[in-house]
Amino acid sequence: MEEKLKKIKEKVEIQISQVEEINSLEKLKSEILGRKGELTQILKNLKSYDESQRPKIGKAVNDLKRLIENKIEEKKQVLKNQELNKRLESEEKVDFSLPVKEELGSLHPITIVQREIEEIFRTMGFTVEDGNEVETEYNNFEAVNVPKYHPARDMQDTYWLENGQLLKTQTSAAQNRIMKKYGAPLKAIFPGRCFRNEDLDASHENTFFQLEGMMIDKDISVANLIYFMKTTLSEIFKKDLRVRLRPGFFPFVEPGFELDVSCMYCEGKGCKVCKQAGWIELCPCGLIHPKVLKMGGIDSEKYSGFAFGLGLSRLAMMKYGITDLRLLNSGDLRVLKQIGIK
Amino acid sequence: MYISMNWIKDFVDLNGIDLEELINRFTLSTAEVEGIIKHGENIGGIITAKILKIEKHPGSDKLRIIKVDTGNETITCLCGAKNIQVGDIVPFAKIGSIVDGRKIEKVEMAGQVSNGMCLSEKELGISEDNSGVMILDENTEVGIDIKKLLDIDDIIFEVDNKSLTNRPDLWGHYGIAREIAAITGRKLKKLEIEELENYNNLKDVNVKVEDTEKCYRYSSIEIENIKNNKLDINKRIRLYYCGMRSISLLVDLTNYIMLELGQPMHAYDKSLVNNIKVKSTDKDIQFKTLDGNLRNINKGTLMIWDNDTPISIAGIMGGENSEITEKTISLLLESANFDSVCIRKSALDLKLRTDASAHYEKSLDPFLTDIAIKRYIKLLEENDKEIRIVSNLTDIYAKKYPEIEIQITKEYINSRIGIELSENRIIEILKSLEFGVEQNGKILTIKVPSFRATKDVSMKADLVEEIARIYGYDNIKPQTKEQSLKIVEVEEDKKVENTIKDLLAIKYGASEVHTYVWYDKKRNKELGIEVNEDNIKLANSLNANFNVLRESMIPSLLYTLNENIKYYSDVNIFESGRIFKYPKKGENCVEVKSLGVILCSKNKSSKELIYKGIEIINSIMELNKNIKVRMKDIKNIKYNWISPVNSAEIIYNNDSLGYISELNINIKDNINNKTNIVVIEINLDKLNAIKVINKKYEEFSKYQPVEIDISVLMDKEEKYSSLEKCIDEVKLKDLLKYELVDIFEDDKKLQNKKSITIRFTLLSKDHTLSSEEINNDLQVLIEKFEENNYYVKK
Repeated sequence: MEEKLKKIKEKVEIQISQVEEINSLEKLKSEILGRKGELTQILKNLKSYDESQRPKIGKAVNDLKRLIENKIEEKKQVLKNQELNKRLESEEKVDFSLPVKEELGSLHPITIVQREIEEIFRTMGFTVEDGNEVETEYNNFEAVNVPKYHPARDMQDTYWLENGQLLKTQTSAAQNRIMKKYGAPLKAIFPGRCFRNEDLDASHENTFFQLEGMMIDKDISVANLIYFMKTTLSEIFKKDLRVRLRPGFFPFVEPGFELDVSCMYCEGKGCKVCKQAGWIELCPCGLIHPKVLKMGGIDSEKYSGFAFGLGLSRLAMMKYGITDLRLLNSGDLRVLKQIGIK
Repeated sequence: MYISMNWIKDFVDLNGIDLEELINRFTLSTAEVEGIIKHGENIGGIITAKILKIEKHPGSDKLRIIKVDTGNETITCLCGAKNIQVGDIVPFAKIGSIVDGRKIEKVEMAGQVSNGMCLSEKELGISEDNSGVMILDENTEVGIDIKKLLDIDDIIFEVDNKSLTNRPDLWGHYGIAREIAAITGRKLKKLEIEELENYNNLKDVNVKVEDTEKCYRYSSIEIENIKNNKLDINKRIRLYYCGMRSISLLVDLTNYIMLELGQPMHAYDKSLVNNIKVKSTDKDIQFKTLDGNLRNINKGTLMIWDNDTPISIAGIMGGENSEITEKTISLLLESANFDSVCIRKSALDLKLRTDASAHYEKSLDPFLTDIAIKRYIKLLEENDKEIRIVSNLTDIYAKKYPEIEIQITKEYINSRIGIELSENRIIEILKSLEFGVEQNGKILTIKVPSFRATKDVSMKADLVEEIARIYGYDNIKPQTKEQSLKIVEVEEDKKVENTIKDLLAIKYGASEVHTYVWYDKKRNKELGIEVNEDNIKLANSLNANFNVLRESMIPSLLYTLNENIKYYSDVNIFESGRIFKYPKKGENCVEVKSLGVILCSKNKSSKELIYKGIEIINSIMELNKNIKVRMKDIKNIKYNWISPVNSAEIIYNNDSLGYISELNINIKDNINNKTNIVVIEINLDKLNAIKVINKKYEEFSKYQPVEIDISVLMDKEEKYSSLEKCIDEVKLKDLLKYELVDIFEDDKKLQNKKSITIRFTLLSKDHTLSSEEINNDLQVLIEKFEENNYYVKK
């Protein structure tokens, strides 16, 4: 019997080694180990052996069966690997260095900067409001303390419409409406497109974006304004900035300031950007004029507040190093596609 | 406005103060200084010299050989100017001296050597006069440094006019000096004037102010026996450095006073005027101003008249008929105060802004008019000793500003600034600015000086500014403000806009652009775009091409496309902006938020682009509002860029949210006939108004769905939506969904028909559908199709 099993083993080992495909291996497996296989037959006929021999034979056969199963499994693994390798070899080699067609479009630089700034203000509790582009003379001028024939109207060349309305010259045009809508206390920013009737050059556009903000509460002071602007601007520029106030005349604030920040390029040492001054004029601001509060329906004895304006177009130019303001409205995809989405 | 430091020093002692540092402090406390010009730096070593001899140049007709005496030597030089004579004293640049930044060297001209040069006023940098050598006063000492004689050295700083808009008191040197005195803590000197009491007994000037609403004050005086015609040189240098052209003594002095006190004056030739009247014209007239222009003056403009002849536009410009000339020997001097709004309005109407009108429109201090005359006489006497005053200072003070008193407390000031100033310091600051202060317990009663009371300072907030700026904004320590931190959610409309922009840029590879809110007529013409020229117009556009506001986003996006198409084979752009319409012509305009999208490709077919466009529209609707819209043929085509063949309205709840269209081929061919272009416009206001449909989870049915394909034959022209309509109408109870599987067209087999295969999925929630039920459903569907003449393939 031993001899027989040994022969079977040798035969099977040869057979296994000759198999080249998984399918034939499976077939072989069922031939050898299946119901009709030699080994199964031996087990079936176990009764024909001497009783004392039976357990020994049974064990030997089963051992052999397991051995063969293992061999087949091993071989199967080998064949699988061979097949995988073959497939890998025949697989098309892709050139990862080939240029891929650009699928992403682009957002306008103003959109990107505006979203960043809106996000900063939202975390500080400011509502973001949307203004109109066509405004009434009242909202754009009277309600922000610029009466008719006031020389301050010269500061902004206005596009008048034939119906007596105008294209808003400043985001401040929304102040009155927002005060009336929310009352005090109030924290809001309002970005928007503004217009000035002037000739274009690299630093003048008739269409540009501003972002204006207001904060109204009890006992708001100049010291609060300085603190707020310093923190917010440092956040916007992601840099610890110093700020300074200079007197500035804007009819809707009293006192009114021009706010300078320490130059973020040279840290205030003096460079080309800040014209050696160390400071960059960034944002007009001030305590809201009592008349403006009153016209907005807010008690100016009880409440005070500050307002500030940021040039979104200017901030976008600073962020991306754009030197010609006109590019922002050019619609030139050679410029805009460079900006992408971030 | 240019401010001369020499002039300021007339009124404030600035010894020991660094001038540049002072200018910096002025910027931080008062108004922005835009630039500093240092005059005299390019001139050095110039001395006075006497002409001893003038000889012909043997080799040149233009040049002469001059011998000058410089006090200790005689120098020979060459000179081209013809105005010098022996004995004249002139500024002389020796070898080694500096003129206009260049060193004077020995030169040879036409064989003769020149050891220096005689200088003109222009070469000295003190005027534009280059007509000849400057001749100095005959009594001038020879051999002294010219800078001892002439105030060539001066620091001029330019103050930004805009930052002075609200400060009428700063429109002259004396006011600036007052400010500098307050900043530096020094004393302001009194203005030297000629008190004119001695002339009180003389006759009045013949003046009548008829329009007392517009003319607040009119002061005048008459002077005779004018002999001199030139203002002294150092005052002329100041005028020149401050940007004024010298004309004649009488006129220069009016300008000098304006620059010094901020009070405009006008000098009339007395021999040409008799009977002054100040009144508005009651009809439109024509009037020739002294610049020689004939101007149309509107009814209502305030004028100065001699009897019934206009002689001046009040506060703006005098007339040619009464102007000072070389022959003038007597003058009538006007120093008046006019209503600021009236002057500004007239100047705007006339499109004539003069230095005088720019001053008046700031609301000048009426107290200045007589002071200005007294100062004028003082300076005139210094320049022309023999003048004779022939009238009293006639003063008509028709309308006075109310005196302003403001009550304020230390606490109010400190709380608004955020500092702790003592009462004493507050009072000290206010007094340095010439405010009157009375203390009564905690309350300070502040009297506003006349020069700040015309409109500038009227309330507590104004005083807060005065104190804070002199205290120094730099000295205020930043302070936080306690506040509740509540993060604000993004507003729904903003979210929609952000989502749309992201979707288009990120998923559809489109680029956001910004365009102008007006049409470009020239480009409309080039591209064949027709717009409603009757839409809202700009009344004062600088360019007539751009005066109609856009009613649609598409034209400006087409301009942008047209510019970009030469660089790209595919251009996908969009803008979320505003469009403008009249509800009725002349009424307030309606502003609508609108999204415009343009898809353009040289490789994709029009059909592909349309389907991509519909996909975009569906995504926008689903992403933002969870809604489904339908496409419907456009009944009234409003714009000529919409294709009459391939275009559809976007319909939701029977309302049109916008449209999608192939670009009309006429326009497309003008842009590029080899590309395909699709335009989309969506009314974002309408979209924003739609409520979000909230989705609810529906449980799956436990039973097996049944899928059945039905093929329908229909005319090629016919729309898929007609089949949808049929399906919707039969309202099969068990219909879970249906979808388009295939469209088959074959000209030979089907001719002008197409076969559309739709897969219907049937499912019941509570039982397995029996084949009977299924057949029944199918039968209903088929009947409905056939009823509408759609043949169903069995």
